[in-house]
Amino acid sequence: MSSESLFLSPVYLPLLSAAGILFIKSFCPTSIKRIAEYLGILIGLVLPLLLVLRLYPIVQNQGYIETTIGGYAQHIGIIYRFDGMSLLLILLAAAITLPAWIFSRNEGPGHSYFTALLLIQNASIAAIGMAADLFNLFVCLELMGVTAYVLIATGKKANAAYASFSYLMLSSSAMVFFLLGTFGLYNLTGSLRYEAIAMGLETLSGRNQYVAHFSLLLIIVPVLLRVAVMPLSLWLVDAHSKAPHAVSALLSGVLLKVPLFALIRIFSLSPFASSLALPISYAGAVTALVGVLLALSQSDAKQLLAYHSISQIGYIVSAWGLALHAGVTTMTGSLLLSASFFHAFSHAQFKALLFLTIGKTTDAAGNRNVYTFRGANQALRNVGERVPLTMLCFLVGALSISALPPFNGFYSKTLVTYTLKGSLHYTFLTLASVGTVASFIKLSRIFLPSKQPMVLPAVKEKNRFPVSSHLAFILLALSCLAVGLFSEQMILFITRLISSEEAQTYGSSFFFTQDNLIKTTLTVLSGIVLFALAVSRPGKYVLHLLEKRRGGFTDLFLGFATALGALALFAW
Amino acid sequence: MVIERILIFLLALVGFSAIVGAKNIIKKVFGLNLLNSAIVLLYILEGSRIGEQAPILGEGVTNIVDPVPQALMLTAIVIGVCVTALALALAVRLYKATGSLEIDTISARLHSEQ
Repeated sequence: MSSESLFLSPVYLPLLSAAGILFIKSFCPTSIKRIAEYLGILIGLVLPLLLVLRLYPIVQNQGYIETTIGGYAQHIGIIYRFDGMSLLLILLAAAITLPAWIFSRNEGPGHSYFTALLLIQNASIAAIGMAADLFNLFVCLELMGVTAYVLIATGKKANAAYASFSYLMLSSSAMVFFLLGTFGLYNLTGSLRYEAIAMGLETLSGRNQYVAHFSLLLIIVPVLLRVAVMPLSLWLVDAHSKAPHAVSALLSGVLLKVPLFALIRIFSLSPFASSLALPISYAGAVTALVGVLLALSQSDAKQLLAYHSISQIGYIVSAWGLALHAGVTTMTGSLLLSASFFHAFSHAQFKALLFLTIGKTTDAAGNRNVYTFRGANQALRNVGERVPLTMLCFLVGALSISALPPFNGFYSKTLVTYTLKGSLHYTFLTLASVGTVASFIKLSRIFLPSKQPMVLPAVKEKNRFPVSSHLAFILLALSCLAVGLFSEQMILFITRLISSEEAQTYGSSFFFTQDNLIKTTLTVLSGIVLFALAVSRPGKYVLHLLEKRRGGFTDLFLGFATALGALALFAW
Repeated sequence: MVIERILIFLLALVGFSAIVGAKNIIKKVFGLNLLNSAIVLLYILEGSRIGEQAPILGEGVTNIVDPVPQALMLTAIVIGVCVTALALALAVRLYKATGSLEIDTISARLHSEQ
């Protein structure tokens, strides 16, 4: 098989499988339906990943491979370009989609439509990673968005539909601005391809330059909206906490990061864009801190996790912004970008794990309030769990996000903070990691034995705890551990795909220095102190005030306008 | 050309204010459609600046308009229709659950259910 058809497989194989699943669902008996779903995931998700991984040496040597879809002439055809970042995004999506899908089999939504939607979403993510022109990027982003809206709305309660509706209105109106920006650039340069636009922008002068800058802004802000950097993050909490658990895992793990890393190509269009990366990275650092404070104040377990996603995205964005500011091709820039992606990847794993385990636990007890919910293990035993694997896996996730060795979070957070040393971001992120520890102590308390007798929801039949859920937890927990233990190889893998230069290795001697260990210990200790403060009477009062603050529908747009205005002001 | 642009801008403004300001969620969906239409018209208008005839190449067809914006907008319209259909489906679900189409009432009723 030629390398062209290999790298297009992550786009067409999932689409083909999705079509097959829907066809069989409509026309065949139920028994075949299930087989079709398994086969669809195998062909649409696992197979493309294996095929794409075979391209690793080619990408590393040549940088990228390119092809025009359908054999049209270069200037009218749609061009797909496969490079290191595309490979990483496909890997990220598959690594989370698979456990989320396994979990959904018995915990819901788990029907044929859901499987088909997951596959379409994966195809759109692969296409975003490979898009080489602005309009194609727009189409793929919208496709990913539509699958996300539908997935959120698969939640049983009407809350989920409301969250989905708000996100849809906000994101779709923002994408109109993206089209406006595309229009501006097309008008000025007569092209939609990244290189042609970059070349066209170089020759501009005078008033046209302002138009170009404003168009770039209009493209960047709607994409950042999907990434949920503050103040663009207001939609996230509802969407992530009201969606079914498997979907929350996907939204937090994958859908927040894909647009961010796809944006890199737009930033490389003009030197003006990379000057914008600096304020965005500051916004990221602030997001990390404010997000974790809001997380600490939540009483709903899934909302707490959703605010944590915002906070962790802050980490990723601050490293990412500084990487673009330094220039992706420079030594510092590529290290920062690798650190940023490494943390994105780790975050995807442990946040998916946390969403699934907490989701399962809170469902078992019928209680999501972290202040009143105790004795989670009892509740899980009530629904038929024999070995407390859920708690163990949750602890793996909690230790990972609190950045304790030997789990992946420790390595990725240490690498991110190492690359940011000496900047203002560093202070913000260190403070945020203290808050992370504190809020996870707060969340872990649900596993403490309950003092009062528990009122558990009646379970209709003593059905066994579904094996598939355990399988999903263990898969994610082991991958958290494996990425931690083989962090050296993982970092090498990422840096080799991101930059062409010979990468430095970061072995255990780099991570387990005295400084790092002292810092980790201090973070944990201050986290405990912060937790003690948070549960004290004045602490509770302050946190309660923070929690009361709820945004309405109009506030979502206010956030969008603020972000656009602030960046425009900075640019001006 | 200037008048057309102003009209398109006004159309977009009406759409956007409906999305943000209207209380009824069906009106919000209409607003999204108006906003979409405004951008479609803008592309088509600018594409028509360089020619007059439809870009279907045949004998004697010269002086065509720029075909690229038309092709792009065809796709954008399709996406707009999909999003509208989905938004209306969600609106139906919200109405069935809360018995209202006003965004504030829906939000309040859903919140009190928790």
